[in-house]
Amino acid sequence: MQEQKYIVGIDVGGTFTDLLCLNTETQELLSEKVPSIPGSQWKGVLGALEQLGIDYAEIRAFVHGTTIATNALLERKGAKTGLVTTDGFRDTLEIGRTRRLIGGLFDIKFVRPKPLVSRDLRIEVDERVAADGTVLQSVDDVDFAPIVQQFKDKGVEAIAVAFMNAYRNSENEAKALEKIQALAGDVPVCASTTVVPEKGEFERFSTCVLNAYLTPVVTTYLETLAAELEGQGIAAPVSVMGSNGGVMTLDQAAKFAAGTFLSGPVGGAGGAVRICEMAGVDDCITFDMGGTSTDVALIHQLTPRISHSNQIDAYPLQVPQLDIHTIGAGGGSIAWVQPDGTLEVGPQSAGAMPGPACYQRGGTEPTISDANLMLGRLPTDRTLAGGLQLSKDLSEKAFLGLAERLGEGAGSPVQLADGVLRIAVSKMAGAVREVSVHRGFDPRDFALLGFGGAGPMHVFLVAEELSIPQVIVPRFPGHLSALGQLLADLRHDFVVAWGGPLNEIDITELRSKAGDMQAEATARLLDDGFATDRHAHTFSVDMRYVGQSFTLSIPCDPQNSSWDDLREAFHDRHEQTFGRADRHSEVELVNIRLFSLGLIDKPALKFASPEGGADPVIERRQVWFGDDWTDCPIIDRTKMAAGESFQGPMIIEEAGGTSVVPPGWTINVHASGSLDCRRSYDD
Amino acid sequence: MTDLVQLELIRESLIAVVNEMRANIIHSSYAPIIYEGHDFSCALMSADGRQVAQGLADHPIHIFAVPYSTQQVVAKFKDDINEGDLFLHNDPYTGGTHLNDVLMLQPIFFDGELGMFAAMRCHWNDVGGMTPGSLSGRVNEIIQEGIRIEPTKICDRGVVNEPFMNLLFNNMRARSERLGDYNAMVGTGRKAEEHLQRLFKRFGGGLLGGIEELIARSERQLRAKISERPDGDYFAEGYIESDGTNPDPLVVKLKLTVKGDEIIADFAGTSAQTNGPTNCGPAMALNAVGTIVKSFLDAKTPINQGSFNPITVISEPGTFINARNDAPCGGMAECKFLIDSVVASAMGKVAPEMTVGDLKGGANHIIISGSDPRGSNYIHYEWPAGGTGASDGTDGSNAVRSYNEGDFNSIQSVEMVEAQFPLRIERCEIRESACGDGEFRGGFGLRRDVKILGRTGALSVLSEKNVIPPYGVEGGSNGAANSFTVIRDGEITQPSPVPGKVSGFPLKTGDVVREETAGGGGYGDPLKRDPELVRTDVAEGYLSVGEAAHRYGVMIDGDKVDTAATEAKRAALSKSKISVAVELSNEEMTDGPRRQFLVPKSLATSLNVGDGDLIEIFTGRGSPLRAWARLGDGGENIVISATSLDILGVAPGDHVGVRAARPHPETFA
Repeated sequence: MQEQKYIVGIDVGGTFTDLLCLNTETQELLSEKVPSIPGSQWKGVLGALEQLGIDYAEIRAFVHGTTIATNALLERKGAKTGLVTTDGFRDTLEIGRTRRLIGGLFDIKFVRPKPLVSRDLRIEVDERVAADGTVLQSVDDVDFAPIVQQFKDKGVEAIAVAFMNAYRNSENEAKALEKIQALAGDVPVCASTTVVPEKGEFERFSTCVLNAYLTPVVTTYLETLAAELEGQGIAAPVSVMGSNGGVMTLDQAAKFAAGTFLSGPVGGAGGAVRICEMAGVDDCITFDMGGTSTDVALIHQLTPRISHSNQIDAYPLQVPQLDIHTIGAGGGSIAWVQPDGTLEVGPQSAGAMPGPACYQRGGTEPTISDANLMLGRLPTDRTLAGGLQLSKDLSEKAFLGLAERLGEGAGSPVQLADGVLRIAVSKMAGAVREVSVHRGFDPRDFALLGFGGAGPMHVFLVAEELSIPQVIVPRFPGHLSALGQLLADLRHDFVVAWGGPLNEIDITELRSKAGDMQAEATARLLDDGFATDRHAHTFSVDMRYVGQSFTLSIPCDPQNSSWDDLREAFHDRHEQTFGRADRHSEVELVNIRLFSLGLIDKPALKFASPEGGADPVIERRQVWFGDDWTDCPIIDRTKMAAGESFQGPMIIEEAGGTSVVPPGWTINVHASGSLDCRRSYDD
Repeated sequence: MTDLVQLELIRESLIAVVNEMRANIIHSSYAPIIYEGHDFSCALMSADGRQVAQGLADHPIHIFAVPYSTQQVVAKFKDDINEGDLFLHNDPYTGGTHLNDVLMLQPIFFDGELGMFAAMRCHWNDVGGMTPGSLSGRVNEIIQEGIRIEPTKICDRGVVNEPFMNLLFNNMRARSERLGDYNAMVGTGRKAEEHLQRLFKRFGGGLLGGIEELIARSERQLRAKISERPDGDYFAEGYIESDGTNPDPLVVKLKLTVKGDEIIADFAGTSAQTNGPTNCGPAMALNAVGTIVKSFLDAKTPINQGSFNPITVISEPGTFINARNDAPCGGMAECKFLIDSVVASAMGKVAPEMTVGDLKGGANHIIISGSDPRGSNYIHYEWPAGGTGASDGTDGSNAVRSYNEGDFNSIQSVEMVEAQFPLRIERCEIRESACGDGEFRGGFGLRRDVKILGRTGALSVLSEKNVIPPYGVEGGSNGAANSFTVIRDGEITQPSPVPGKVSGFPLKTGDVVREETAGGGGYGDPLKRDPELVRTDVAEGYLSVGEAAHRYGVMIDGDKVDTAATEAKRAALSKSKISVAVELSNEEMTDGPRRQFLVPKSLATSLNVGDGDLIEIFTGRGSPLRAWARLGDGGENIVISATSLDILGVAPGDHVGVRAARPHPETFA
């Protein structure tokens, strides 16, 4: 038997499929980048593997980040879904709490997106549980056969079961699930409390329906991929990145498709944690800029923040996700003129086709990439990685057109390019403020970590906009998501809706419930093949002041914490988050949460460092910084040795990313391979 | 960097300041109505009180009121505005909304010169008055609604006027919560100041210059949009059904004039203020005209003072939309949404491609109170949304916040309500068949049944459009009116002689409060609706087979449209429509505030209406004109006054459609 020494991470994005492969014997990393194949993402995966050229039998593990769930939802290509629900509530999905949820102010012709289940496929049954869990009407007498038959006749491909107050007592829902499963044959069925057993019917029903709607799509895709990989001789198990930042087995993903929406972007956050750890940085904000959008996330003490109440499109999604904020600004974002004659950038993007004007593929609108080219930050005389040759003439033509539409005061094409970039940077800085200032953190206390295809080119400008003194640029910045994937642990999340005012509930009940949760988690991880010494369990409780409606998540050790400990921890967290605590008000517990990791071996990473002293300068070029042209060296990153120090301005090129370092920055090449860049500000 | 680029950077930065102010209020506020209900707004104003930037998430009901208030402060304190000052205001008569909405203004100085104001307006849960929560349908003077704060300096160069603040807080319930609201606003003002000082450092004098330019651009944009429309006078009117103390309605009359690049909205003829809650201060009419004009002509340009400058609003002091001491103003939302509806009716004639079916009217305040089994009292408050109006090419949406409202919850989670109160929500569903029909139909409202589990309870309702339904446009039908009833022992009972105005109706164990919200008005002739769309509505259970046949002329056979039968049915329905000639009356026929049409007996018979019933004339253009029938003896024509001709834009002898305006569309199996 051959040594299985490779771990492969593959991230399928909208434009490119990025692959990173770790040789666990040598700690070397290999990278590949191929165009994504829309509609058949797995073909891109196979293409990237083929280019890699390693012996497939030597692959030990295979982790995959996919946008399949997001795409299926946005294109409304999920399964035809049926819903079975409590009498009186077939329209909960449609009414929600009567919010529009996506824009619509002043828009007379606003149309609310339709629910994912058409009304004729939402069937009510005579069952009811009271708010205290009492079964008012048992489901025992309900005949589900005609309902399932009706679904089958109408071509239903997935079924959701969601009952009122099931979070309090799931007996009726569980019975219905079992009966329907028995009748449904191959059609997947899921129940609201098995997807998310939390209070709040609209959010729970919506999450359950999203899960059902996506299950067939995600399952089919993953089964196809697994079969194709097997056909290629890859015996290693395939796992999938989950929105919570951990990996899921194929089986898990098939049951919990709603947990895979952020499968792509979470890899970046995971990779960022590892890069920070290696570079000795505890707190960072990730800045992952691609062709159409930018994702930012806040990592505090090496832990990405988790958000439990989310929304995708117009639908609530109550599953734990990394708190990633996305804005529509990427390299392909288009600059345009607003109705009142002012200049605006994005969110429309030229995408990969036709792409920015300079790509010479027929694009005529000026984009952020064109602006960078105009300002000398991209080469025109050499081809880029991927064989692209950029045309400055076409960029200039696009900016001249924009200047004409703007009229008086537009300035020269170079001034306009500079302006477009400033506006884009201002928007991206706004996204960083959103995940920091809006959540009670000061961005100046964090390092900004730039990655993704366009991240290193803009990360310094965004840092300057926010007076952030430290920027980190990892090796392989275009592949950080894939890196995060191949380093991710397996993760299960559990939640039990239980609680009440602390002076009315018994801590022994918390302990017994927590014990049950941990036993379930342990069984699952054992099933997944992790011995108990590879298990890590972390509990928290959601708490609030009695009468409040939102909660804060407080870390907790259920077997040892007392109510007083938790009460104090809550007051402190409230004060830290909102600036004040109300220490004489009683505190209420709402949910018990547990996340359990199956820890994988964390292989060391080694980025090849060249001998010092080699001349890393490729060429010198005129590059626009501030308000003028500056003579600027273009540096080959592979020739920057660990321990060396450089001064901006400079442009650093490497496969998969170009860093644009303005004057005033000092760049230290960290032993871990990352560029640790610093500058100070007057104030 | 060119000025144009700097301009965009300034705009982005100002929006960022407002967004951070909003986040700060949400994070630091203690009251659920703020942090969950989002009943607050933040804005930046110029030194002379003009609107500079506003969050896009804010409720329009606040937007136009803030500059009004700020200008009052500027006018009153002129040269006595200093660094470290703070101002407070909630007085409806000088630009406030209702007393619960308290505005704080913090002046911001750049290099010693007054540069801007940061404005925070939050709904305080209680501002004193006769009932907890301060709002009540039973008031008859404003003193019962809480403390009225005219523009007041509460902090002078950093020194807080403690005696005044104590006086204030001593007269409000839940003092510590009020203090929390106040502190959240103070802290938010400080954050705004920090952020604005950074911007001033970066842009210098360019900041204020840029603000002027942004205002000028918004103004130019709206003026250009107005100029595209034909000059002329456009008339519309609408009614508050009752002020709750008096059976007579209140009328809002509007002459909207488009003149070059300006719009003048003159509300002459509007009813006098009343001693019930349905009054509002002068800012509400400006607010309504601004919101609706913007929605019709220029929805996308960012809001600032430039969005108001081309608009002039004229309202007579002492009318219920420009109330004076001591008219209560707790029903300001009812007034505001009525004015919205009237302005939308006029704007539908100015911009016919945007004309849109009417909405549910007021806020639909429902308060169910009682005692729980442990003996403590509870109050369950919600304000359920209805369906939205249809427009050309677009069906209305179902039970959702409409374009003229902020986007916050109007009903609470069933599971939350049931866990908190001795109530059981038996159903919360689409109110089938209750849309306004049309080529494009209005959205459906909702039906929510709330069962009383405790020993006793009481129901209060403050709602509009329970009798006079939301209008359809371009010949489309009216949506169903709002309806609030109590089901007791299986029988539907009316909790009040005046529909929609219920004050403390006693509830017993097992009673079910049924809330039914209005459907949106339809657009265009229902007989022109694509039969496939009607079939889909039937397949999804929104309409019955009978309703498809009788209201749309669509004959459905199994799961298919019977095309031949549909054509025949539509031809028959089309033929049976009532169309008569109008005749000019030589008097302005009214009964108090009510407009009247003289209806010959034969017409009354075919319309199935009696003397005093509400009817409407529609022309297929814009919205219908409503009036109460005065039965005449002979003749065939409907006799209407000169002002009616003006509103409808018809001449004597023209044929018009006439129909009864009933609260609910006919239902069929």
